[in-house]
Amino acid sequence: MEHLFTNIAQILTSWMVSLGLPPIWADLILLIGQWTIIVVIVTLNVIVLVWLERKISGFIQERLGPNRLGPFGAFQTIADAMKLLTKEDIIPSQADRWIFMTAPMLFIVIAVMLYAVLPLGQGMEVVDLNVGLFYFISLGSLSTICLLMAGWGSNNKWSLLGAMRSVAQMISYEIPLAFSLLGVVMLAGSLNLSEIVTAQNRYWFILLQPVAFLTYFIAATAELNRGPFDMPEAEQELTAGAYTEYTGMRWALFFLAEYTNLVAVSALAATLFFGGGQGPWLPSWLWIIIKTYLIMLVFMWMKWTFPRIRMDHLMSFSWKVLIPVSLANILITGLGIEFFRGMGW
Amino acid sequence: MIETETYTINIGPQHPSTHGGLHVEAIMDGEEVKDAIVHVGYVHRSVEKIAESRTYAQFVPYASRLDYLASHLPTLGYVQAVEKLAGIIVPERAEYIRVIVSELSRIASHMIFVGSLAIDLGATTGMVYCFRDRERIMDMFEMSSGQRMIASYMRLGGISADLPESFYPAVESFINDLPGMIAEYHGLISGNEILQERCKDVGILSAQDAVAYGVTGPNLRASGVDYDLRRDDPYGIYPRFEFRVPTGQNGDSWDRFMVRIEEMEQSGRIIKQALRDMPSGEIQAKVPRILKPEKGREVYHRVESSKGELGFHLVSDGSDKPYRVHVRAPSFINLMVLPLICRGGKLQDVITNIATLDPVLGESDR
Amino acid sequence: MIGKGLLKGLGITLKHGVEKPKTIQYPEQRPYLQERFRGCLEFDYKNCIVCGMCTKACPNNVLSFETAPIEGSKKKRLVSYTIDLQYCMFCNLCVEACPTNTLFFVHDFELSTYRRDEIKKVYIPPALTQVDAGGGQAELIPQDALEPDREAEAEAKRLKQLQAMKTALSKGGQKVLAKYVDTEEDAAVLANLLQADEKKRDKMAALIVDDKEKARKVAQAFVAKERKTQAGGEEK
Ligand code: SF4
Ligand code: SF4
Repeated sequence: MEHLFTNIAQILTSWMVSLGLPPIWADLILLIGQWTIIVVIVTLNVIVLVWLERKISGFIQERLGPNRLGPFGAFQTIADAMKLLTKEDIIPSQADRWIFMTAPMLFIVIAVMLYAVLPLGQGMEVVDLNVGLFYFISLGSLSTICLLMAGWGSNNKWSLLGAMRSVAQMISYEIPLAFSLLGVVMLAGSLNLSEIVTAQNRYWFILLQPVAFLTYFIAATAELNRGPFDMPEAEQELTAGAYTEYTGMRWALFFLAEYTNLVAVSALAATLFFGGGQGPWLPSWLWIIIKTYLIMLVFMWMKWTFPRIRMDHLMSFSWKVLIPVSLANILITGLGIEFFRGMGW
Repeated sequence: MIETETYTINIGPQHPSTHGGLHVEAIMDGEEVKDAIVHVGYVHRSVEKIAESRTYAQFVPYASRLDYLASHLPTLGYVQAVEKLAGIIVPERAEYIRVIVSELSRIASHMIFVGSLAIDLGATTGMVYCFRDRERIMDMFEMSSGQRMIASYMRLGGISADLPESFYPAVESFINDLPGMIAEYHGLISGNEILQERCKDVGILSAQDAVAYGVTGPNLRASGVDYDLRRDDPYGIYPRFEFRVPTGQNGDSWDRFMVRIEEMEQSGRIIKQALRDMPSGEIQAKVPRILKPEKGREVYHRVESSKGELGFHLVSDGSDKPYRVHVRAPSFINLMVLPLICRGGKLQDVITNIATLDPVLGESDR
Repeated sequence: MIGKGLLKGLGITLKHGVEKPKTIQYPEQRPYLQERFRGCLEFDYKNCIVCGMCTKACPNNVLSFETAPIEGSKKKRLVSYTIDLQYCMFCNLCVEACPTNTLFFVHDFELSTYRRDEIKKVYIPPALTQVDAGGGQAELIPQDALEPDREAEAEAKRLKQLQAMKTALSKGGQKVLAKYVDTEEDAAVLANLLQADEKKRDKMAALIVDDKEKARKVAQAFVAKERKTQAGGEEK
């Protein structure tokens, strides 16, 4: 079980080589295959996630959540996706057409690209980059541009406000996000995600870096634009923020990308702080799925409990609390590492 | 120097947090509100004009529709105004029942206030819990009057029907559970630091300004002015009850919120006393089928509704229809301070301020 | 400490998250309606004395009716009565005004229709027939006063019979059953069987009331089966 997927990949490669393909071609085909699988899985996963979020919000609010279509309402999201697909695609006449149209596509592309480096099990990353974490963070900050494009392109004041908020928010929360990850990197001594997982053989980093996890979690919520930090969308204030003018599939792409980001960020948290695929009995890829889902549940639970924070509080919280705390965390981690090294551990 | 300019955004009339058809034109400098202009009238139904073409008794259901979130309170104000005009004495038991249902209305209205504040600030779940608890009040109204929201339960000179037997256990268990409900709101909504941050020192309305603008009700009391018509200009049988009038100090959104929460508790107290003292007997005074008050009589009667001082000014011309009816709608007057308390705040504060002023557009636009 | 309130809130939502949902799944699960609930306004023309109190009480001109004079009498008769429910406020004023309880609210609350005019309810009393009211005078009365509701009556009669049959069978009822089986013995067996088994008893009673032919067949089948099981039991 453990090497199920890696074995399949190997068998496929050797089969293709035996057919007379040069190994480089075989690798390329495999890579394309992996990408396709990831895109399909991500999309299907979002359908599950939307259903899950609705169910959870339902239970929290003493409702049942979707329960009509299919067992436990499982097909509700599929029906919704169909509805969105068949909806009229409205582009406002005053909108900046190209920017308006490319923003959602770019958003989803970036979201899916994050998965390239995530080890979805032992030896199961698409590309084993040695600067994987760096890649992840830098790609993550790109999504700001998409939101800004969406807001600007819509030519709507609400959208623009939402977009400006998202820029301000994401830029200020990227710093604590990166800083909080630095502690982990210092402990593991590598930016390669698989190596970070291996470094957690003895202790999960959540035990050594609880503060870093906390700052990461908060900053990640802000990066994801999820409640209580859902400034760019802020339904009750900005109607739908940057997404106000979007309809049908374009809007669905934003939605898709947001959930995709949620999975990516949770999977990263599982990888960095909860030992990735490590765990007894079950194969590593199953473990990482379980951990990712558990972290996502916490994200959802928070969203359905807390009110939205105010924009200026949000900024000052980042600059006055999160960044100093994460900096202090780096300092203490560094001191600790030196200390233990001095002790000869 | 960077050159900046202000821009206008229209909050409403179609907006998730304007509680109906309210339109606030906000003049913004970035996220900061420079000025706000309130436009009302989107829910205008010409209720006052309708009153002139209906008989006194026929207007009761329309009065219910003024403040549809606490429909017993405007009805109470209207029927008491007519009773004053025509000199009708209401039987004791009817008076007690009126007090019970109006205080229940007040609790229901404040529950909606708490819930809608929660959802306006983004805490969806808080709203659901408030509406769940309000449902119990709605069930009681359904028991007593047959309608849930717009009950039109009161009649000139009494009420339409006596309380059914099933009402008493329901109201008693509700009053006993009320502290638990409020504790839950405190835990989920008011205990939340994010919400406190967003409400404290937001939308400060000084006592002076409040009085100058004619703000009434919980909004006035939150500014520290101890003024409650139930105590200061008592109507009906209110002087018989013992209750405290909660006041705030700062007049910010937080105080407006806490004053209402405490008012719910006090209303619970009043209901308890009313249930204890309620006599048996008649529920309807003898009122002529065609009521023709004396020509030229004029009354102004005001009650403390959940939104503030709700007044009815009736003029009689001796026919069976009023010559003129004017409604002093507290929501309308309270809304007029919105620009004052929004100035200099953030866009998000406008939402908080609308929510904590708690306007009901049906009443404000009439 | 900052964060305590946040954690408490999370605790509350978690507590409610594992509680049983309070949803009433509406079309299948009907809401409980209080006795006084005002759903749809209905009119019962039999009681109406055409006094017009209701139309005077209604604030919104929902109610209207047409009358025609009755020959040789000062009274008027009702030609049609219209409730235009789309304007109704469900305020109960008309019901309170009506002296004969002709207007009343029922619990049916699903009033939406696809078109405006479908919600308008027009009641037309059935055609009037002339009958001899004695003393050579003719009087007009509605047709269905003469012809009582046959169907409803038949149904009531059937129910009564069914009940009687059930009681009879539960106390034995060999004589009744003898008509449907061939021998006395069989009747005894059947009677015992039916006394013990309520489901079969109800089925039999219904069949006897509704369809005698089928009752015969089923009775014989019951007996045969019962015999078989008895025989089987003895063999063992
Ligand atoms: S319930 Fe009210 S509005 Fe409706 S018909 Fe009766 S009196 Fe008229
Ligand atoms: S008040 Fe009653 S009896 Fe009189 S006309 Fe109306 S429905 Fe008929």
